[in-house]
Amino acid sequence: MNVAASTPIIIMSGASVLALVFGVLPWRTVSRVWPSLAAVAGIGAAGGMSIALWGDRQTAYAGNLYADRFAMLVNVIVLLAALATIALSWREPGAVDRRGEYAALILLSTTGMMMVAGAGNLIVLFLGVELLSVALYVLCAMEAWRERSLESGLKYLIVGAVGSAFLLYGLAFLYGATGSTSLAEIGERLFASSLTDEPFLAVAVALIVAGLGFKASAVPFHMWTPDVYEGAPTPVTAFMATATKAAAFAAFLRLFAGTLPDLLPDWQVAIGVIAGATMIIGNVAALLQTNLKRMLAYSGVAQAGYLLIGVAAGGLRGAEAVLYYLIAYLVMTVAAFAVVLVREREVADGDELTAFTGFGRARPLLGGVMTVAMLSLAGFPPLSGFVGKFLLFSSAVEADLVWLAILGAVGSMISLGYYLRVATVLWLTEPDAAGSRKVLRVPASVGSVAVTSGVAVIGLAVSASLVLDVCRGAAEALLAP
Amino acid sequence: MPWITAIVLLPLAGALSMLAVPEGARGRTQARAHALVVSAAALVLTCIAVGLIDRDLGTLQLVDHHGWAESLGLSWDVGVDGVSVWLLLLTTGLFFLAFVAAAIRLPERGRGFLALLLLAEAGLAGLFVAGDLVLFYVFWEAMLVPFYLLIGVWGGSDRGRATLTFVIYTMVGSLLMLVAIIAAAFIAQDHTGQLTFNIQELRGVAFTEGESTLLFAGFALAFAIKLPLWPFHAWLPLAYGQAPILVTGLLAAVMSKAGVYGLIRIGLPIFPDGADNFAVPLAILAIVGIVYGSLVAWRSPTMRMLVAYSSLAHLGFIVLGLIAFDTVAAQGAVLQMINHGLVVAAAFAIVGIISARTGREGVDDLSGMAAGAPRLAGVFLIVAMAALAVPGSNAFVGEFFILAGVFEHHIWMAVLASIGIVYAAVYMLRLYQTSMNGPVTGDGRRAELRGSDMLTLLPLTGLMLLLALWPASIAGSTRSSVERAIAPAQVAAGRPAAEVAAPVEVNPPEDHLPLTSQQGGTP
Repeated sequence: MNVAASTPIIIMSGASVLALVFGVLPWRTVSRVWPSLAAVAGIGAAGGMSIALWGDRQTAYAGNLYADRFAMLVNVIVLLAALATIALSWREPGAVDRRGEYAALILLSTTGMMMVAGAGNLIVLFLGVELLSVALYVLCAMEAWRERSLESGLKYLIVGAVGSAFLLYGLAFLYGATGSTSLAEIGERLFASSLTDEPFLAVAVALIVAGLGFKASAVPFHMWTPDVYEGAPTPVTAFMATATKAAAFAAFLRLFAGTLPDLLPDWQVAIGVIAGATMIIGNVAALLQTNLKRMLAYSGVAQAGYLLIGVAAGGLRGAEAVLYYLIAYLVMTVAAFAVVLVREREVADGDELTAFTGFGRARPLLGGVMTVAMLSLAGFPPLSGFVGKFLLFSSAVEADLVWLAILGAVGSMISLGYYLRVATVLWLTEPDAAGSRKVLRVPASVGSVAVTSGVAVIGLAVSASLVLDVCRGAAEALLAP
Repeated sequence: MPWITAIVLLPLAGALSMLAVPEGARGRTQARAHALVVSAAALVLTCIAVGLIDRDLGTLQLVDHHGWAESLGLSWDVGVDGVSVWLLLLTTGLFFLAFVAAAIRLPERGRGFLALLLLAEAGLAGLFVAGDLVLFYVFWEAMLVPFYLLIGVWGGSDRGRATLTFVIYTMVGSLLMLVAIIAAAFIAQDHTGQLTFNIQELRGVAFTEGESTLLFAGFALAFAIKLPLWPFHAWLPLAYGQAPILVTGLLAAVMSKAGVYGLIRIGLPIFPDGADNFAVPLAILAIVGIVYGSLVAWRSPTMRMLVAYSSLAHLGFIVLGLIAFDTVAAQGAVLQMINHGLVVAAAFAIVGIISARTGREGVDDLSGMAAGAPRLAGVFLIVAMAALAVPGSNAFVGEFFILAGVFEHHIWMAVLASIGIVYAAVYMLRLYQTSMNGPVTGDGRRAELRGSDMLTLLPLTGLMLLLALWPASIAGSTRSSVERAIAPAQVAAGRPAAEVAAPVEVNPPEDHLPLTSQQGGTP
């Protein structure tokens, strides 16, 4: 048994238990500060191990858990998201008195995501999805005194359970069609087969797409997204938006591009249609929002659509594009939520768009970060969002899905309507006397997350070839038999 | 020495280092000096580049190549030929004058204003030297951001709507262009076995006629919106009307050339069949634009709108000159791009001075200013005569070249376009007569040009006179580049071989055919 391959997951589960224990210790400073420290230490150690394991595929637990370049890259993505979430949660009302649970749940959820990324077996995949979801149900409802937060948790629980049921049913059908739960064996048995010969397989693929679609908030399984994003504490929303999406797409890639590449012609168009619908509906719905968190939720739906383009395209280029875009999406989304978080703590209804009137003029640095994030989400060159979209559209064109690339371009045009509105509110309006003057000192951890991710949005584009080499390596590992 | 890279990156570095300039009164002076030094340096470097290149060669020169994301075929590829070097000079030259004007009358929050202008300069300079389709797209889009903020923060009362319309219109075209760029590269890969976005390497690729037409359409829409070509001009009155007048001048003088430049650098050489299929439709749009722009200019209530719409008409001429696929007409079009840049910049400068001093913008609100402002009237007359292309002015040479070339192939186009020259006299003379002649008011004395105004207007009128006397300085040196650019389209249009002056590349070269499956690299 190769323990080394599973060390990142072991470290993260251990750190979460440690955080939980620190949280219930009687000394005030200990119970407030140490859980976060344990979380940061755990994330650092797991990240270090993930980087150390970068190399040829290793397996643990009889081939049920992979440690390949793909899993390690996804690990690093979700760990960075978790780190940003911990930093953003400093002084977060929901976390102050329950620091232990808060940190532990984030770590547990991250552990689940890492299991999804490294899954070599259908059961491990499902366990990972459940672990990440259950922890998030609780995190959403963490601000229990706010009705919205409770609503958010409950909605996510119900919808998430339905999604999990779909996924489990689909995995069961896949097992039924192939007689194995190991991804490697499934891949071998389905070599050179097609969905049309295997009705069970068609049902399995449809149910799995639906189940993962819930997690990735793809249309038509996206209805929960705006309510849950709006109600949940903002750091948790940021975590859901970035890390959960990364895990869902890791599962998509592992199952479709990695395990069922021979069935590509069969599922390609179906996923392409979902991608198109997701981009258009997400972008149009975002146009109508006045609340920034809801707007970012619908924008997240639309971004899931762009990512699905890469899944539909499949192959090396598709997987590479999805991975790059996940990294870019992580930094731009974290940057946007960090700024929302700052404003939310300063004024009531700080997540409304109107609260940002003249914000850029009052706070040029944070306004600049928000503007960069919005422009990058809209796909303005030379920011990383543009490089990502360029890769995704390229992968679609190469897979002869030009119509999907055009739909993506149309979606991006629509998205300008709301991303630019944020920039307009930030810079083109004068601050109103009452609201905008109210300025609190930004906690160092929140400010540094905002600025770091803002810089990373630009840095990822400048150093695109370096990042792409990493993504290419991960994509090759994913497609390796 | 990487001259071209330096010219593009210098304003960018200048914009970023503007952050180091302190805010407040002391910073304002420092910011002025900073911007002036940076833009002057860029201008000097451009002049050196003009001197360095061999203008008879017609190929891309002073090329700098650096990898960016090589695995995707993306790279930093810049260089100039006989056409783009003049546009580069126009950009750095007019931006330098804009900085002089901005330094004299610096608006509020001047540091940010100057930094954004520098960014816009970097974007436009980069656009004109980009040798890679993706790099071209990056600059094409990136310059929107500084212009968006310049109009949005320092613009007029309706600036919100103006900026949104401006950006959304442009992006609608350019996102389809992005898809076309990607599609062009991958389709070319099927033909040549090599994935590249390099404009030179894409020349001569044997796209089928259908592919060529669709891809050209994808690019042409973006160019038509940016120009703007009628009926894609709805953003123009809003953006030109709401922007600070300095920015309006730069939009009309420099940014409007981006679309034309796209046609001559990408549209005609890479997709000749598509360009041939779209030549007549584009010509009709251009002619409608000439007539429509002239008519609206004639009835415009404000001076600023009059100049803006006249610019629409003039750009119609330039497009017409390019899609005649005639060497003389295309040389005229390139010359006219420079002429129009100088004339419209001077016209907006004068309009800006008059409306700032008198507080009035309406054409009919002013009269008899020549009495109090002889210098203004003199300069204005020169600019107005150039704008209506009186024989002996610089614009006359350009328009004559264009019409002479167009006449050889499509007589009806030349006849219809000539109407535009008549209209130009109508609206420019109306502008000049109502404001300068007529009952004398006190406005003239207030608006008289001062020494500081002369700093920007004298170089512009001087250059206009120089080009009027010696148009060959530019037209002659563009010849081989222009021939090379339009040769593929001439072949596609079935012109006699005697007219096609430059050899047409075939990509891949015939001795490499047939491609082996390894080279093909198709999945």
